[in-house]
Amino acid sequence: MAGDAIVAEELFYMYGDLVAVDHISFSVGAGEVVGFLGPNGAGKTTTVKMLTGQLKPRSGRALLLGMDVSRDAVKIHQEIGVCFETANLYEQMNAEDNLKLFARLFNMPQFDAPALLKRVGLAGREKDRVEGYSKGMKQRLMVARSMVNHPKILFLDEPTAGLDPTSAESIRSIILEERQRGATVFLTTHDMWEADKLSDRVAFMSQGKIVAFDTPHNLKQQYGRRALKASVVKEGQRLEDREIPLDSPQTPGALQQLFANEKVVTIHSEEATLEDIFIKITGRGLVG
Amino acid sequence: MNPRIIATLVRKDVALFSRNKFFVVLTTLGLVAYMVIYFVMPASVDETLELGLYAPGGAPPILEDVQDQGLKIEEIDSEETLRKAVVEGRHVAGIALPVDFMDQINTGTRPTVAVYFAADTAEEVRTAVRSLIEELAYLQTGQPLPVDISPEIVGVDMAGSQIPPRDRLRPVFAVLLLITETLFLATLISEEIERRTIQALLVTPAKVRDFLGAKGFVGVSLAFGEALLFMAIVGGLATQPLPIIIALLLGAVLVTGISFFLATVGREMMSVMAWGIPVVVVLVIPAFTVLFPGALTGWIKVIPTYYLVDTVNQAANFGGGWGDVWLNLLALLGFGVAFFWLGSLVLVRRFR
Repeated sequence: MAGDAIVAEELFYMYGDLVAVDHISFSVGAGEVVGFLGPNGAGKTTTVKMLTGQLKPRSGRALLLGMDVSRDAVKIHQEIGVCFETANLYEQMNAEDNLKLFARLFNMPQFDAPALLKRVGLAGREKDRVEGYSKGMKQRLMVARSMVNHPKILFLDEPTAGLDPTSAESIRSIILEERQRGATVFLTTHDMWEADKLSDRVAFMSQGKIVAFDTPHNLKQQYGRRALKASVVKEGQRLEDREIPLDSPQTPGALQQLFANEKVVTIHSEEATLEDIFIKITGRGLVG
Repeated sequence: MNPRIIATLVRKDVALFSRNKFFVVLTTLGLVAYMVIYFVMPASVDETLELGLYAPGGAPPILEDVQDQGLKIEEIDSEETLRKAVVEGRHVAGIALPVDFMDQINTGTRPTVAVYFAADTAEEVRTAVRSLIEELAYLQTGQPLPVDISPEIVGVDMAGSQIPPRDRLRPVFAVLLLITETLFLATLISEEIERRTIQALLVTPAKVRDFLGAKGFVGVSLAFGEALLFMAIVGGLATQPLPIIIALLLGAVLVTGISFFLATVGREMMSVMAWGIPVVVVLVIPAFTVLFPGALTGWIKVIPTYYLVDTVNQAANFGGGWGDVWLNLLALLGFGVAFFWLGSLVLVRRFR
């Protein structure tokens, strides 16, 4: 489709006898942030590897910016940035040298490493060897490295996995800034909250297949169940929970009866989470 | 291949090498140690046979005549001092003549001559000295030997200009320096694979062939540069420099290919060492045939480094030219290209 940054057509890959990615097809529009959700082993990383030319699909094809990944890898790699799931930095080198190395590979002689390091919160640590960095700092440097060439498409594979809240939030801010810049972001994660917050659309992946692909709002509308949750006081100051489904003809009556017959302490609306929906669709959770 | 990208990757590898203290120290120490060993070893071979002589009745005149024929005879004033000199290694053998040696010779009586050898004197030396004494005694009777000997030297006559042990060691050290670099390069590559930095490189405009080109360039340059520097400093390039330089270059290509293989099995420095040391031992075997020429057997020629050692030895120590070493260089080229190509293939399979 014209204007699509990423197009996957019937991508298929297997490791030995194990099917990792099972004929998936989807497209991602330019400037869109797409979250790929799924538990470990669902096929997210294999999909990223095929999209970025690290793995050759057994069948199907991938197009990035209208170019076939298997044919135009050099041109495509000039336009994309990839942040890997596990840190793969040159740890004996400092942060600045790590970035400068990649800037030279991208032929960017005017590259400003300190400015990018400042952007990811590593100002003042540019000259420190990476081997002395914390996990969060390494991950921020990984994200920075993926942005060295101002990529049109940014692939981020579990960029916040295992990070402290501050580091994770810092990376989420960078992703939003990249979207503002106009980059297409392909984000794989099993953090449903993160995907919900950052993504224009999310794909649910399970056992190598995409089982749902839509905006978080639409998925919640389609699969979720909105409800009111109330805590009421019973005899002996004991608290009990009450749940009243919304979107039902009986909702007004049930709500009236609640306040008439019970002593309500707290009441709030509750929306289905992406994890609830994932479980509903696949019958399994996102973690594990 | 993209020269700009290869240059960038080479620059990175050189930076990583310079930050690996273990390999920097190993490389520097190796180079310095081999040079020190070379320069402290004797620069010439003393071919004179030194004998001690105790002759209470005076030295037979025939001994005066043979003094300038590779024999050096020192007269000693007592039999006890003679024995001591032999034990201390100052003489190959000690000859003690009886006081009436000349009288017995002149009257046709067989005198008994005591000959002392140190415990570690080789059997062939003992036999040679015994024969020498018998021959000299025969000549002393005034009778010429019943045969005329017509010596002919096949090849270059090395008499008086034997190859000193330190020059025999030059090819050995040069090969050791080359081979040591296989361990460094294999470690560098295996760490790139194990730490997955190669994945990060291969999603940039850098391609597998750029990566292999850069690693090949670094491996060949380091190994070749080091061996060449050593040979230049120890005077190994004084004769036939071009065949030696070509041999070292092809040897560097060969060891770089071998390091590609090691990188596929090793996971980090220690496992590369564990796999690499047996390989290094095998590759060094041909070098010892230079030190112990009799040890050369046919099967050694299946070890690729044989052709490197033999070329360097022939060219540096015997003045061998293109005509003498071209077959070796051809074999070395074949092995070098084959190992480099096969090593590249298995390496690519490892990081795919």
